[in-house]
Amino acid sequence: MKVEIFHTPGCSACAATQDELRRVAFGIVKDLDWQELNVLDELDYAVELGVLTLPSIVIDGKLVFTSMPTAAQLRAALIERTGRDE
Amino acid sequence: MFTIGKLASQTSVSNDTLRYYEQEGLIEPAGKSPAGYRLYDEDSARRIRFIKHAQLCGFTLSEIRELLVLRVRDKACCGDVRTRAIEKKLQIESKICAMKAMSKALDQLIAECANEAQPVEECTIIAALERADIAPPVQ
Repeated sequence: MKVEIFHTPGCSACAATQDELRRVAFGIVKDLDWQELNVLDELDYAVELGVLTLPSIVIDGKLVFTSMPTAAQLRAALIERTGRDE
Repeated sequence: MFTIGKLASQTSVSNDTLRYYEQEGLIEPAGKSPAGYRLYDEDSARRIRFIKHAQLCGFTLSEIRELLVLRVRDKACCGDVRTRAIEKKLQIESKICAMKAMSKALDQLIAECANEAQPVEECTIIAALERADIAPPVQ
């Protein structure tokens, strides 16, 4: 499974939340492909995926979160995709 | 302090637009004349110049209102404004993409219409627009 976070660097609050989300995500999917993308470096790709607000999270090519989710929301989204029972 | 007319001429914005900005809470008079006319100060002129520049960059009035709030909020930082600017760029790029796709679709219709002298009832563009199965152009 691939998770891509589109963000703008420089936001310390976002960075702290991202660290927490990464920990949660790897707790659910061990071989997760976790990418943190600077939206300015990947603008065309972000537009192609429909990213209009920041931060946004794309899971397996699908735009799932258009703002920073809570750890519980990300956990639920990943569990839904792994087909695993909570 | 100056009247709405003077503010309008200073900023090249009509009186009606200034009244609309006031209704929308984007500017507010700094005081009133003895005769009861609203009076504005240099801050109003600065805000109007800000609004005009932001509109040129594609921001809507409600987005501009947020930017004006950020402009004076103690805890806001440049990063907050930068993020909004980047989000606006994403929206503009997305619209450009959609418009390019529309332009390609029109290219296809124009190319299909080879005979300009055909009667309108045989127009391939009209026929194609009536068809429900037009394939989206390949990106």
